Amino acid sequence: MEARIVNKGQLSELLDKLAKDYDLIAPIQEETVTLFRKISGAKDAFLEYTNSDISPKGCFLPQNEKTLSYMYTGDTLEIDKPEGAKKTVLFGARPCDIKAILTLDPVFEGEKFGDEYYSSKRESTVIIGLSCSKVLSTCFCYAFEGGPCDGTGSDLLFTEIGDKYYVEVNTEKGKALADAYSQIFSSQGADQLAKDKEELAKKLAGEFVRKVDLTGVKELLDKNFELAYWSGDDQKKCIGCGTCTYVCPTCHCFDIFDYTTGDFNGDRLRCWDSCMYPEYTLCAGGHNPRPTRKERVRNRFMHKLKYHLDRYNMVGCVGCGRCVKKCPVNIDITKIINDLKEVAQNA
Amino acid sequence: MMDVIQQLREQAKKLLEEKKVDLVIGFGQGTELARTTPVFIDSPEGVSKLTWGPFCANNLAKYLTDYKNAPGNIAVVVKGCDSRSINRLLDDNQISRDKVVIIGVPCSGQLEWQKVAAEIKPGASLKETADNGDSFSVKTDAGDYKFDKKDYLLHRCLVCENPNPVVSDLTIGKEQPVKNYEDRFAEVQALEQMSTEEKNAYWDKQFSRCLRCYACRNVCSVCTCQICVFDQMLPMWVSKRTNLSENTAFHLTRAFHVAGRCVDCGECDRVCPMDIPLRKLNQKIHKDLGDLFESPTPGTKPGLASPLGEFSPGDPEEFM
Repeated sequence: MEARIVNKGQLSELLDKLAKDYDLIAPIQEETVTLFRKISGAKDAFLEYTNSDISPKGCFLPQNEKTLSYMYTGDTLEIDKPEGAKKTVLFGARPCDIKAILTLDPVFEGEKFGDEYYSSKRESTVIIGLSCSKVLSTCFCYAFEGGPCDGTGSDLLFTEIGDKYYVEVNTEKGKALADAYSQIFSSQGADQLAKDKEELAKKLAGEFVRKVDLTGVKELLDKNFELAYWSGDDQKKCIGCGTCTYVCPTCHCFDIFDYTTGDFNGDRLRCWDSCMYPEYTLCAGGHNPRPTRKERVRNRFMHKLKYHLDRYNMVGCVGCGRCVKKCPVNIDITKIINDLKEVAQNA
Repeated sequence: MMDVIQQLREQAKKLLEEKKVDLVIGFGQGTELARTTPVFIDSPEGVSKLTWGPFCANNLAKYLTDYKNAPGNIAVVVKGCDSRSINRLLDDNQISRDKVVIIGVPCSGQLEWQKVAAEIKPGASLKETADNGDSFSVKTDAGDYKFDKKDYLLHRCLVCENPNPVVSDLTIGKEQPVKNYEDRFAEVQALEQMSTEEKNAYWDKQFSRCLRCYACRNVCSVCTCQICVFDQMLPMWVSKRTNLSENTAFHLTRAFHVAGRCVDCGECDRVCPMDIPLRKLNQKIHKDLGDLFESPTPGTKPGLASPLGEFSPGDPEEFM
């Protein structure tokens, strides 16, 4: 694998150049919250974060997305589709969040249900990852074969080593970008930093405090849709908000509706939705197959730990820890995994 | 705090053993050292799950409406601020007094768990906590820590009207003095000083961040509508789309819907994943209700008249 070096002093120059040549999406800080937004240059970027409050999944699946506009003029109905995505660079995404994008890919790029809106953005985006330099108490990416310095899914992965970034070139797309800015991406001396990166990865791997063991969990859920466990405290304390699903980098449910602005003119929108909301599964006629919080809580964790695996052979969780951190009542997926493992053992 | 925990467990056990209640809702150790989580205990053996300390932020009165049609009685552990919710729920006929056993615990402030967690060695486990007046000591298996209240308290606890429960059937722990680290309406006054354009810009920036996860609504103890107007599909007052206009409609409607009922527990502020200072909206309303109608914070006494539901000839009529 190829590697390059970027001096930290040149990062601003790189980001300014990228912002000029591409739509540049990078972490920013708004008040106390870190989130990903399109930026106009290095001055807007905020890279001193460990885990952003909101993941960059919105680059590919925005919370609000116009899928078409319709205009009825009296004789004709005109339908306009938005243009394809612009050339984009997603800079500074953490390894867990990049892995999360890989869990979205088969949902939106499968043969059966290809999604042009997603694919267009995915194809025109170069993902530049940024290794973590810290492990939080809520982090558990290691449990899903991830790691704080794991480059899986990134086109380029930056790892901070002293006053330099060690840059791994993981794809042709990444190589093309590094070559285009060859005055910043230097090839000299990269090999020496490879060892430093390995050491950092090893050091950080030892810093996880959350023990997560998935042994037997999938098998248990395969055999048992109904489990007494789901009637326990988690569904009692869940307040039914959508926080866990909206901060989750792998949750991808959406709703489609028409927003009519004039007489017969309007937009068809696709917006994030949450399986925690009662009306999410509400059917015409009033039937709701997930009538209470018990079914809704179960569904969320079944989706993460079973359904996504069944469909795509990937766990639907990447261990970013956002739901653990943000849940108002401390519902914790790592506790649920460990509890289910115990249920499986005692079954 | 160990004696309070011990007494809590004893009292809860007694209530369950004597079948005075079928369920005790209290605080249990959470999955982070500096967090607790709501626990629902239905047998005397379960009471060892109960805990107490400076990490009991949640307002558990919220859960009472979940059980209003369940058979049997419910005991709930409340702090001073949470106990205002109980008065409010009673006045709103949301719960019946004879179904609820209120276990009040005087509280000397709750710490912001993220701030505490940032200081403590990851993976450490909690041994005990102690209140030293202006700070809390937190003993862990990885060392002892001290947290000054003025720096580590939840924002809402810097000003506390009721450290002691305003309504309870049994009180555990000793009475706490009122202690404020800030002026209650300082932030609201600062906002009031802004021009209309500045205020607009301030709130536009806050509301445009909103994800509409509805955590603020769902955690609110006085949001008790069975079907919220924002969940209605027909008519769809706000869509699933997030934008400034619909986000603003949501937050302002909510703020006014709980006006005169909001007990200022500050849970909306605490749970917002986007750190939108939602409590300021309701604090402005509290301030105005106080200034205009000399109305106390809702829930501070049972049977308080609703300031917006009652007319008296002396009410100001500056808009007429």
